[in-house]
Amino acid sequence: GIGPIHPLQPEERQIGSVKLLGFLDVENTPCARHSILYGSLGSAVAGFGHFLFTSRIRRSCDVGVGGFILVTLGCWFHCRYNYAKQRIQERIAREEIKKKILYEGTHLDPERKHNGSSSN
Amino acid sequence: MAHAAQVGLQDATSPIMEELIIFHDHALMIIFLICFLVLYALFLTLTTKLTNTSISDAQEMETVWTILPAIILVLIALPSLRILYMTDEVNDPSFTIKSIGHQWYWTYEYTDYGGLIFNSYMLPPLFLEPGDLRLLDVDNRVVLPVEAPVRMMITSQDVLHSWAVPTLGLKTDAIPGRLNQTTFTATRPGVYYGQCSEICGANHSFMPIVLELIPLKIFEMGPVFTL
Repeated sequence: GIGPIHPLQPEERQIGSVKLLGFLDVENTPCARHSILYGSLGSAVAGFGHFLFTSRIRRSCDVGVGGFILVTLGCWFHCRYNYAKQRIQERIAREEIKKKILYEGTHLDPERKHNGSSSN
Repeated sequence: MAHAAQVGLQDATSPIMEELIIFHDHALMIIFLICFLVLYALFLTLTTKLTNTSISDAQEMETVWTILPAIILVLIALPSLRILYMTDEVNDPSFTIKSIGHQWYWTYEYTDYGGLIFNSYMLPPLFLEPGDLRLLDVDNRVVLPVEAPVRMMITSQDVLHSWAVPTLGLKTDAIPGRLNQTTFTATRPGVYYGQCSEICGANHSFMPIVLELIPLKIFEMGPVFTL
């Protein structure tokens, strides 16, 4: 998974992890569990819905598998995009906090410059 | 460092490694979906009653299974190239360390700090103290500051070696007669381990790399000089 700090020890992390097809760690990969769950739901809805309308078992299974892949991919990209946006915002916030701690009270303090210009 | 029987990547200690882990997750999800599709196709093949072996002229299917893999490859290639170019960004390193591979130890030169040079040998099992890591700990670690861009110049004095630290996302070949460069910025303090990653003789497995990353304030006080 990502991130330097994990509350569990490596052995505990291994016990809790579920690896789909033996390699996809859905517990420790951000967005994986969410995508797979929605994909499964999408697959069930699409497959069962197709069967209700057509009564064709084989084709409904195909629609179910296709639905799983499409819904999983869609949720995955959507979630990862938001995750990337969140990480960028966290980094900006971290940098701003660091700058504030460093420059507060000095002549480089942006708040002091802003207050000075507004009072003028 | 890796724990016993670890298969996955180690936690990231540099921004590049964080990006690599993100890319790895992305590629693994695509691989999982492809495997799922292939397993389903295999299941269908093994359970079908249809036995016509002279199917021809399936233009639509052939178009789909040509275009779709091309799209998948583009989806994988774009983030990969992004990270590739990110690793080559010039970020004005604070200082430079030279790492020279030998059979079978590393030499480090801190030429920015008055020409400090030292060798780094693996600690033999008989010299290990309680808590030391077998085949990983060394007598002299590479001490570096956190959150400062560092340039590593890597070369070899005899045969091919490779200087690798997985948690930083680094692996650079040490080639005799050539100076390779890599840069990194560590984001958290700690002790990080790597091992020689190019076969170099009998003791190739016994020339590890250990980085000790400490806060910049403490690094500037000069602990690296107390050898």
